[in-house]
Amino acid sequence: MFKTFGIRWKEMNSFTYKRAANEAEAIREVADNRSAKFLAGGTNLIDLMKMNVQQPSELVDINRLALKKIESIPTGLRIGALATNSEVANNKLVQEGFPVLSEALLAGASPQLRNMATVGGNLLQRTRCYYFMDTAFPCNKRVPGSGCPAIPGFNRIHAILGASEHCIATHPSDMCVALAALDAVIRVEGPKGARSIAITDFHRLPGDTPEIDTNLQPDELIVSVDLPSSAFAKRSGYLKIRDRAQYAFALVSVAAALDIKNGRIEAARIALGGVAHKPWRSTEAEKVLTGAQSNAQTFKAAAEAALRGAVPQNHNAFKVELAKRAIVRILNDVSGRRVGGAA
Amino acid sequence: MQTIGRPVPRKEGRDKVTGQARYVDDLIFPEMLYGATVRSAVARGRIKKISFEGNIPWDEFTIVTAKDIPGENCVALILLDQPYLADEFINHPEEPILLLAHPDKHLLEEARRNVQLEIEPLPAIFTLEDSLNRKEIIWGEDNLFKSYKVEKGNVDEVWQSADFIIEGEYETGAQEQLYIENNGVIAIASPEDGVTVWGSMQCPYYVHKALLKLFGLPEDKIRVVQVETGGGFGGKEEYPSMIAGHAALLSWKSGRPVKIVYDRAEDMASTTKRHPSWTKHRTAVSRDGKLLGMEIDFVIDGGAYATLSAVVLSRGTIHAAGPYSCPNVRIKSRAVATNAPPHGEERFAESNKTSRQKKGMGFASFMHGAGFTGSGEKYLESVVGAEATADGRVRILAASTEIGQGTNTIFAQIAAEALRLDYDSIEVAKPDTGAVPNSGPTVASRTCMIVGKLVESAVLGLKQTLSGSGLLKENYTQEDFRQACRSYIEQHGALKSYSKYKAPPGINWDDEKYEGDAYGAYAWAVYVAEVTIDTVTYEARVDDFVAVQEVGKVIHPILAAGQIEGGVAQAIGYTLFENVVWKDGRMINNQMTNYIIPTAADIPPIRVFFEENPYAYGPAGAKGIGELPMDGAAPAILNAIENATGASINHIPLMPESLIEALGGESG
Ligand SMILES: Cc1cc2nc3c(=O)[nH]c(=O)nc-3n(C[C@H](O)[C@H](O)[C@H](O)COP(=O)(O)OP(=O)(O)OC[C@H]3O[C@@H](n4cnc5c(N)ncnc54)[C@H](O)[C@@H]3O)c2cc1C
Ligand code: SF4
Repeated sequence: MFKTFGIRWKEMNSFTYKRAANEAEAIREVADNRSAKFLAGGTNLIDLMKMNVQQPSELVDINRLALKKIESIPTGLRIGALATNSEVANNKLVQEGFPVLSEALLAGASPQLRNMATVGGNLLQRTRCYYFMDTAFPCNKRVPGSGCPAIPGFNRIHAILGASEHCIATHPSDMCVALAALDAVIRVEGPKGARSIAITDFHRLPGDTPEIDTNLQPDELIVSVDLPSSAFAKRSGYLKIRDRAQYAFALVSVAAALDIKNGRIEAARIALGGVAHKPWRSTEAEKVLTGAQSNAQTFKAAAEAALRGAVPQNHNAFKVELAKRAIVRILNDVSGRRVGGAA
Repeated sequence: MQTIGRPVPRKEGRDKVTGQARYVDDLIFPEMLYGATVRSAVARGRIKKISFEGNIPWDEFTIVTAKDIPGENCVALILLDQPYLADEFINHPEEPILLLAHPDKHLLEEARRNVQLEIEPLPAIFTLEDSLNRKEIIWGEDNLFKSYKVEKGNVDEVWQSADFIIEGEYETGAQEQLYIENNGVIAIASPEDGVTVWGSMQCPYYVHKALLKLFGLPEDKIRVVQVETGGGFGGKEEYPSMIAGHAALLSWKSGRPVKIVYDRAEDMASTTKRHPSWTKHRTAVSRDGKLLGMEIDFVIDGGAYATLSAVVLSRGTIHAAGPYSCPNVRIKSRAVATNAPPHGEERFAESNKTSRQKKGMGFASFMHGAGFTGSGEKYLESVVGAEATADGRVRILAASTEIGQGTNTIFAQIAAEALRLDYDSIEVAKPDTGAVPNSGPTVASRTCMIVGKLVESAVLGLKQTLSGSGLLKENYTQEDFRQACRSYIEQHGALKSYSKYKAPPGINWDDEKYEGDAYGAYAWAVYVAEVTIDTVTYEARVDDFVAVQEVGKVIHPILAAGQIEGGVAQAIGYTLFENVVWKDGRMINNQMTNYIIPTAADIPPIRVFFEENPYAYGPAGAKGIGELPMDGAAPAILNAIENATGASINHIPLMPESLIEALGGESG
């Protein structure tokens, strides 16, 4: 019948801390202890621990592992999991070959946070749903089966695509939206060996297991993100719409990439942020764009296609219109950019 | 040496910059307990049962209910309608029901979660409309806290002869003040020694008055001390009386000092906010641009209890017609009850509708009365004291609080200037009801003009005493003054002087007719906003802002400009960002992650200009400034938006979703 207030800075939960010397050791530590967690920049994990949302019994610090490199590989670019958001955003190869990634990163958080936050941590950051972050409320994602107060509650920042009756949270990352438009591949290593996961298979929709955010196993370590070179990656950009100019998550955001030849769109990528439980790649919009003339009419049709299945909540119907307009705006912008001398 | 008009260092600036300043949460008393408040989750209902559950050592806790109150269970302010602790009936969510104290903060929190309240819900109302239509009667006989009617000329006759009639309805939302320091107090209370409270607050004597009733003690048994306070913006006017009472009740029962400090979420959900409002304007204009008549209906949502709604309403009533000359006016205003936590004062803002008739982009002209409205100052009878020490230092005794806005600094400047002494030789005593007289609350843009004037006359009283006893000649130096003080104190004992408020000549107010000079003086201003509206993404940006005002003589140019810049920034938040979301009377976005306030990146350059026109009855010619900037920014911005887009927007905050609606037809 009564409510306690917001974030309670409770007595600190105790945990052990271990700095891993190499990847194998880090993986072993986490595989041996079901409630251990990798620690990268700590900008998300430590906050959630302070708010008692997560209570790992062990932190395995991976910051000393040699996973910071950003390098060209025959198929494109390889970004180490520990490269910071600032390093990636300001990297020449990224800015030239994959501008959408740089723009998305710079639209997020603050310079201080970007200097700490890593690529791996960004991929795994948790939702900003206020009910998830406040232990005074039930939440299916935090305590499976306890209910979702966001559905009847204030849900302005929640999903309009791909939600379920168990959870309507959104994935808050800007970076991941860019990765979705770049066909990124996440390389991971675990006790059973290495594997690669396509970005679109990495995050999950909530379904009836909203407590599971991604298809990564708890003991798998992200080692790098590979970006394949492509013509569309060079002509790419990011638009983020938020409630204030700085320090706010996206109401909606769009990553767009186009390959245009003689006014015709040869290939296109569209991904939306702030609208779903995962970065929302819109193959529907891409279908409309591919093969069409690069003009305002095409862009509008693509925007309509992208939002066709949208189901708004009580407080966020505006996001549907906002997302459409953001798609048109960024396509206009990207199609008009000069890329390697040709517009 | 001249100090007025110069940017002297702030009196408490060094302590704040070096971290020496001590706020409530920095203070630890021996044997101190922590206090927590158990609140209602329902908006309206009847308490059936309270039970203490869980694995909690309940016998270690001090538990206070309404039954433990030694005096009267009401927060004495204007009306005596708000209880300290709900006894049987609940009238709003977050209403305090029970108090707990324990030495262990963490256990206290566990315990708070384990108090089970069984409440039988009663029908509640949450909108102005439902309250006005009396869907339920939740307060008095008609849900009406207060109403005013002001008439001039004959409004009913102007409509026929008018060339144009302009009509509109306007809505403003609640706004959380978001002072940096949350509310907090420490209390020590016992039947033998009475009650002493240290706290973050704007108005120590409001707290004093409330505690007198709560404990039924004589005046000298209650002492209220303001400690360093991290901002107020009107949000620490009435609610500190509530928290102080709670901590004191826990201390009274436990026999130990008790500290209550709210966290941000509790502070945002349960303390007062700016009143939401609805206004209807009908204005008759002639072809040559003259105002012929105005009819204004103005309603504010006061929440569940009266608190200061009547004061806010009277100010709104008087400011409703704006600074314009108009022969025929009718203003009707009402403050009504809903089952939401009571709304309190916040730097007042009143959209200036008549500016819609002006051409030009984003322009608002307006005024703000300084001091209490109507006969307010007369009834307050504020007093300020001054005391000189044997080493020639002068100490000002006033209950006006420094809450970051510069009270201490300007008081010292006014005193130094009046006595022609060094700024450094003036001290300002800590507001402590046991040691300083009641100079009234720190609200209503009154501190500089009204209290500052009392400071000036109190210190001049010291000089008069010294010259009257032949110890001080006409032209004196700092050293002469010091020697005069020393001799006086040796011969006569303490050297003190008090000064009490008197209305300036020619200022009269009729309470019955609600007519006359509502304020001794007004500050005047013209604000211009330049905005960019993105018609594709609905983002509204204020690109440039010019604030020109006449506030009499400017005492401290940096502090004065800071007041304007801060007020404009706050008003930009009020207009474009800050959205209090209510559900069944509760604020549900009571976290800083989802109650969006502007950051530095959202605030344009604010270009501040002062036109100095000294006011004869203000200290060194100064008037009030505090609330002024809140009044003009919203209308200037909305006018700029209208100018930019053609969309006339009549409600704030203006979120992207409202712009979508307003600009719906436009293409991307
Ligand atoms: C105030 C604030 C504002 C923000 N604003 C934005 C914004 O606007 N846009 C945005 O996109 N983000 C924003 N963020 C989120 C920020 O981007 C993330 O916190 C950050 O990217 C997380 O990275 P990290 O290295 O600090 O992760 P950590 O906090 O260290 O880790 C996060 C999670 O990832 C796991 N992990 C980390 N690295 C690996 C790895 N290599 N392999 C396997 N697991 C790993 C950890 O175990 C943990 O579970 C904001 C954050 C804050 C605090
Ligand atoms: S939306 Fe998801 S994260 Fe938010 S409260 Fe519901 S279940 Fe929890």
